[in-house]
Order: sequence, then C-alpha cells, then structure tokens
Amino acid sequence: MNKILEVNNLVKRYDKARYNAVDDISFSVDEGEFFAFLGPNGAGKTTTISILTTTLTKTGGEVLIAGYDAQRQAKEVRENIGIIFQKPSLDPQLTAEENIRFHACLYGVYGYRPTFGLMPRAYRDRVRELAEIVGISDAMFKPIKKLSGGMQRKLEIIRSLIHTPKILFLDEPTTGLDAVSRRGLWEYINRSRRENGTTVFLTTHYIDEAENVDKVCIINHGKIAACCSPGELKRTLEYDPTPRVCLPTLEDAYIAYLTKTERRSA
Amino acid sequence: MDMTVTARGGATAVSAEKKRMSRAARELNATVTIVARGVLLTLKSPATLIMSLIMPIVMMYMIGGNLSQNMAGGLGFDYGRFMLIGMLVNMLFMMTCQGLSGLVEDRETDFTQEMFVAPVSRYSIVVGTILGSAFLAIVSCFGTLAVGLFMGIRLGAGQLLAVLALSPLMCLAAGAFGMLLLGSIRNRRAANIAIMLVPMAQMFLSGAIIPIADSSGLLLVLSRLMPMTYCLDLVRAVVCAGTPEYDAVVLFNPAVTSAAILGLTALFLAVGTWLFARSETHK
Repeated sequence: MNKILEVNNLVKRYDKARYNAVDDISFSVDEGEFFAFLGPNGAGKTTTISILTTTLTKTGGEVLIAGYDAQRQAKEVRENIGIIFQKPSLDPQLTAEENIRFHACLYGVYGYRPTFGLMPRAYRDRVRELAEIVGISDAMFKPIKKLSGGMQRKLEIIRSLIHTPKILFLDEPTTGLDAVSRRGLWEYINRSRRENGTTVFLTTHYIDEAENVDKVCIINHGKIAACCSPGELKRTLEYDPTPRVCLPTLEDAYIAYLTKTERRSA
Repeated sequence: MDMTVTARGGATAVSAEKKRMSRAARELNATVTIVARGVLLTLKSPATLIMSLIMPIVMMYMIGGNLSQNMAGGLGFDYGRFMLIGMLVNMLFMMTCQGLSGLVEDRETDFTQEMFVAPVSRYSIVVGTILGSAFLAIVSCFGTLAVGLFMGIRLGAGQLLAVLALSPLMCLAAGAFGMLLLGSIRNRRAANIAIMLVPMAQMFLSGAIIPIADSSGLLLVLSRLMPMTYCLDLVRAVVCAGTPEYDAVVLFNPAVTSAAILGLTALFLAVGTWLFARSETHK
C-alpha cells in the first residue's frame, strides 16, 4: 500500500517555550487508511495536525504528504488535503451556501459567480446532493449565525470534501455535537471514504469513534506512546477488564497506555 | 439515492473542472472570490454603508468646510478643489485600511485558517482582501463628491473620470500600507487603534487638507515616507494639468510620483504579506 503521509522525526518547539510540544515523532499513514491520532489535552495532537496541514511551521524533522514536502511544497500539499479544524472556521456573516461557494472557488474547483443560480450546474447539483445527504438542505441559504453547532459541523464536512481531497484531517470534529448529529456525521464520512477512497486522519477525545479505525497512534507529552491497530493495542492490556462478559474496548487500552506512560515519565 | 453513482459522478465533474483551470486562472479566480466576499460583507452590513456615507460629512463638510471658511484666504489657488481631492484620496486610504482590519477579525473567528489552507498564493489572498475593502472606500468617495457638490465644489467630467481611473491604484497603495501596519498585529483592539491613528496622522502629514510645500525637519521626512503624499500629488497633477495653479499645488514630477507609489506599494505589500503570513504560521 502506498504511503500518503510520512512523518519523520518531527519536532516543534513554540517561541519562548522550554519544552518541545512535539518531540521527535515518526509515523506513517497508508493511502485510503482510517487513522486515529489520540492523546490527552495538551499532548501535541493539534500542533501535529497544524504542521501537517501547513498552518504551522515545524522546528525540525520531515513531513511528506502525497509525496510533497509540507514546508517547501505547501501549495501542492494544500491541493491534496481537506481539513475540519477544532474550532469552526466558517464566516458567520455569510450563508451556508456562500461559505461552500467561497471554498470551492478559492480551491479553483469552479469559477466564481455572484449567486448560487449563476454557478455551474455541476456545482449546484453537488451542493444540493451533499446537503441532502447530511440533512441540511433547508438551511443552505440561511446565515451561519442561525445554524446549530451540529449543522455548522455538517456544513464544514461538506465544505472540506467539495474539492475531493485525497486526505481529510478531522481535528476533534464531533466536539459539542449531540449523539444524533455525531452518528449522521460519521455515516457521511464513512460513505465518502467508501466512495472516493479518502484517507481520514482523525483526532478525537471520544475514543469510541476510533474503535473501527485501521491504525491508531497515541501521543502523550509530545511523544508517540503506541502506534498499531486497535486490536493489537487491546491485546497489550495488562489488566483484565471486569466484568468478564465485556470485551476490552479501545478506551480501556488507551487509558492503560496513558497511565503506563505517565508512570514512566514520573 | 444511488450514492455510488452520484458521489463518483460528482468527483469526476470536480476533477474535470479542476483540469480546465490553469494556475494563473486559479489565482485570479481566488482573488475575485475574495474581492466578492468583501463586497458581499459590505452589502450585508447597512450600518457600515451608512457610516461610510456619514464619514464624508464629518471629514469634508465639518473639518474641510471650517478650514475653508477660516484659513484658506490668500493661498493663491482654489482651496475648495484642493481639499476635495485631498478628501477623496484620504477617504480611499482610510476606508481601505479600515476594511483591512477585517483580516484581524477573521483571525479571531479562525476564518483566516480557511483561507490559509487554500492552495493559492498569499498575495492573491491579500490583494483580494484589499480590493474587497476598496468597495467601501469607493462608496465613501461618492459620498465625498456629494458633500462637495452641496458645498459648491465641483470637478469636471474629465477630472472626475481621471480620479476614478486612479482610484484602484490608490486603494492598492492604501491596502499595502495597511498590510504593513496590520501584518503582525493579532489583537483586534490594537488593530482598530492602529488603523484609526496612523491614517489620521497621514491625513495631516501628507497634505490632504493642509498644504505641505513649506514643511521642514521631521514633518518633512515623515511626509515623504507616507504613500498618500505621492498619491495625492499624482491625482492633483492629473486634475490640475494645464491650469495656472498647477505649480502651487503639485510638489513633484508625475513620473517621480508614479515611481514612488509603485515602489512603496510593492515594498509594503511584500513586507506586509510576509509579516501577516509569518505571524499565522510561526508561533
């Protein structure tokens, strides 16, 4: 399988900081893989994802995405990625459709036209189709300010996929969403993975969302604590989760690993 | 709905569109898109539009009118026209710079992230934002002309067209200057103060409403560093060409002025964009 993302000895130290936020980490993601990057608050997840998406410079190491160097060939990297940031990055003054149109035209997918009706038919059909799939057809022409948090997140998903990226970065995409919205959002992301073979790079605090990923990496204190499949991670559990009728979950293995690395660093 | 067919069909359509657009066309399309966003945001904010029309009343009628009535005697040229051109260029500068402070607002709402992860040049983003802000500046220029008419100050049709033809260059020069100011400011409150204070100082230093032919010392040095000094001088040279008052109101040769505007705009745009992009990615 081709590697779509390679991180080698990545280091990031913020200005005036005494310690590295990301400390010499290496991992890779295969094309089409569903990859989870987990860790507690302040572990270095968002710093890493910011470097991978070219919005933050690194201190050292190498990052290759779709064969391009994330620092020297940032524009080529950006052509191949889609991102859902931890904090929503929609323009609250524009409508949902205007936000999508702005994104699609900024990425050169379509030539800009001043109204939805004047945009090419392919754009209009795709927006209608995506809006229907994620269930926000009625809200497409409403200002962002009038949409719920769940609807805004769904809109960001549509926006991030409209230029059909090879790799989709999701930085805690479901934070603050209700259970129904979370499920709907994951159904759409999984559909998109199946249909387009999109590689998904996920960071989340909801460990159950990473239960079905192909590979999981755990980062703690800026270092990689574990990097393997969820099944392998669960098999390394040192304790026996009780009651016995329950199988160990990824969350059990995740907490066990974090506890182990905390003990080591102490 | 047949997801397989529709999603694949959509992706194919997208790829085909992508292939049709060359790199230069994509940069131009991105700039046009950002300009359109600026215009759209202005049109969606009636309060901003009203303020841009009230500004000329304060600047042109109250400040300019008072100076004209009390201090303009014996200057040897038509002060009304001198002031009208000064206020037109000043409006382009002030309003374009003010519109640029939206970039700092975008930083606070994290919208700059959305723009900065797009595969387009930072210059396309900055030039688009400047020209988007210029829309509001041009609206206030029409307000200034209306106030001028009310005060009995007029420009000929040819002179008016010349001013309008030069206005995109003035806005670009103003935007480049604004980018230099805002390049490394992350706080909206600090940005708002800078964006009010510096263009205000520039209005007095560059001769928008007060002649600066006899300035000396530090005031002379500061006036020569301000891009608006050259913009004003170029517009006055074009409007007053062939009139007896040309020598009294124009400071430099238009060729020198044009070179200074282009040089300062290119320099400020490059440094301002670099500072802005750097402050986004270097932390």
